[in-house]
Amino acid sequence: MLSIRNISASYGRVAALSRVSLDAPAGAIIALLGANGAGKTTTLNCVSRLVNITEGEILFEGRRIDRLSSDEVVRLGIAQVPEGREIFARMSVRENLEIGAHVRRDRHGIAADLERVCGYFPVLRQRFAQDAGTLSGGEQQMLLIARALMARPRLLLLDEPSLGLSPLLVEQIFAIIRQLNQEGLTILVVEQNARLALAVSSYAYILENGEIAFEGPSAELAQNDRVRQAYLGG
Amino acid sequence: MMGDWQVYWLFLQQGIASGLVTGSIYALLAIAIVIIFKTTDAPNFAAGEIFMAGAYIALYLLIFSQIAYVIAVPVTLAITFVFSALFYRIVLRRIGVSPAVAVNVVIATLGLSFVLKGIVRNTGFGDVPRSFPAVFGADTVQIGDAVLTTQDVAVFALALLAMAIFFVFFNYTRTGRAMRAVGMNPRAAALVGIDLHKTRMLIWGLSGLLSALAAILIAPKILMTADMGIVVILGFAAAIVGGFTSLPGAVVGGLIIGIVENLVGLFVSTRAIVVAPFIVIMLVLAIRPQGLFGGPVVIKKV
Repeated sequence: MLSIRNISASYGRVAALSRVSLDAPAGAIIALLGANGAGKTTTLNCVSRLVNITEGEILFEGRRIDRLSSDEVVRLGIAQVPEGREIFARMSVRENLEIGAHVRRDRHGIAADLERVCGYFPVLRQRFAQDAGTLSGGEQQMLLIARALMARPRLLLLDEPSLGLSPLLVEQIFAIIRQLNQEGLTILVVEQNARLALAVSSYAYILENGEIAFEGPSAELAQNDRVRQAYLGG
Repeated sequence: MMGDWQVYWLFLQQGIASGLVTGSIYALLAIAIVIIFKTTDAPNFAAGEIFMAGAYIALYLLIFSQIAYVIAVPVTLAITFVFSALFYRIVLRRIGVSPAVAVNVVIATLGLSFVLKGIVRNTGFGDVPRSFPAVFGADTVQIGDAVLTTQDVAVFALALLAMAIFFVFFNYTRTGRAMRAVGMNPRAAALVGIDLHKTRMLIWGLSGLLSALAAILIAPKILMTADMGIVVILGFAAAIVGGFTSLPGAVVGGLIIGIVENLVGLFVSTRAIVVAPFIVIMLVLAIRPQGLFGGPVVIKKV
């Protein structure tokens, strides 16, 4: 479904990614792991077209998307759940969700999806009229996932969904990620929490200094000695 | 014979009534300034000249082309909308809009202001001060003890109507919501699929339209010259008083500036009018540095 081929990217003269390749076949959960600053978020932002690539190509369902604008990528069916609480703080929770469907015009479908995403995260319905900025960190994370789902994506890019959340909330959110995948959504998830990400994904890539250092079926990577030592705490 | 207090009471009513009329124009201008500042991260220093150009375009259509008011006004608004939107599309988009290059945006808008002034000065329009034809008569209306002309009442009513339409558009339509989103969090806006450039282009167009509307409304009350854009300083003053990023603040700021100007003119001296807005700015900033409606000062983490 998504195919990243030999892409490189840089911020000014600082290289962020060098010749990274990655595949996310339809229906899979793919994990992208690595330390802080390894280039995980940059990879997602290359797909979402917030960052330009300097070489290589990105294909979505066989079509090149690396010269499109960020809104065209969303229209094609790729939505990103960014890290860092990128909400619209002074809009209501309801408006935050509705704006997630900005690229759509089907009123009835949007209304139905509003119900659907509130089914995943019932707490959001209780907060409907509140400003999104007043939500707790966990609620904001749920809002971000729900907002991305409102675009009706076929590929979901998740950036550090566990960051800053309590273990209980992390478990809840990963249960929903699994459920979404079972309902047919393809997911590319970026995580620092390697144990969690390897448990939920079928195939994983590990980035080190902007390059893919390891890749393989998640179960195998979880057994790999060097991976265990570096990312799973021995 | 009237006692002093009766005169003061009369002055107060007259000052507020006249102040609301001019203040509503400043409020329109402040909205035009604030929507650009919120989404482009730089003030538009050509706001005054876009205002001036709007008045001259309307004057040209009305007087030189003899086009009826009902056609000339919408055509003027359409021209300023398209012109301002194209200025964003052709000039600013090429510069690239981001906080890092805000200074380039400022220089570009200063350039535009000189170009517009130059055009009006050198095409003969700006050779002599001109007056703008009023639609409504100079009949007077008494409100309490205050006296306004029908023109004044119409200006106030139309400015309020324009603001009401703007607020409904901004708060309850898909495009308005996209504009608010770009002002609040451009990165998140891009991620939900909002076209940032298109939205900013529309904001510039809308800002130009509001400036031109303000110009048409106030032009009959002032003398038209190539320097009439100086009025927009009061729109900036209104925006600053309101907090510079708040739209309700812009409206309240505009009305306050208008009322204070008129009260100072009546109670102190008409010569003191020019300094009044700046005294208001200093007072407000001394008491509330973030402006009346500005949020707490936030320093962005990188």
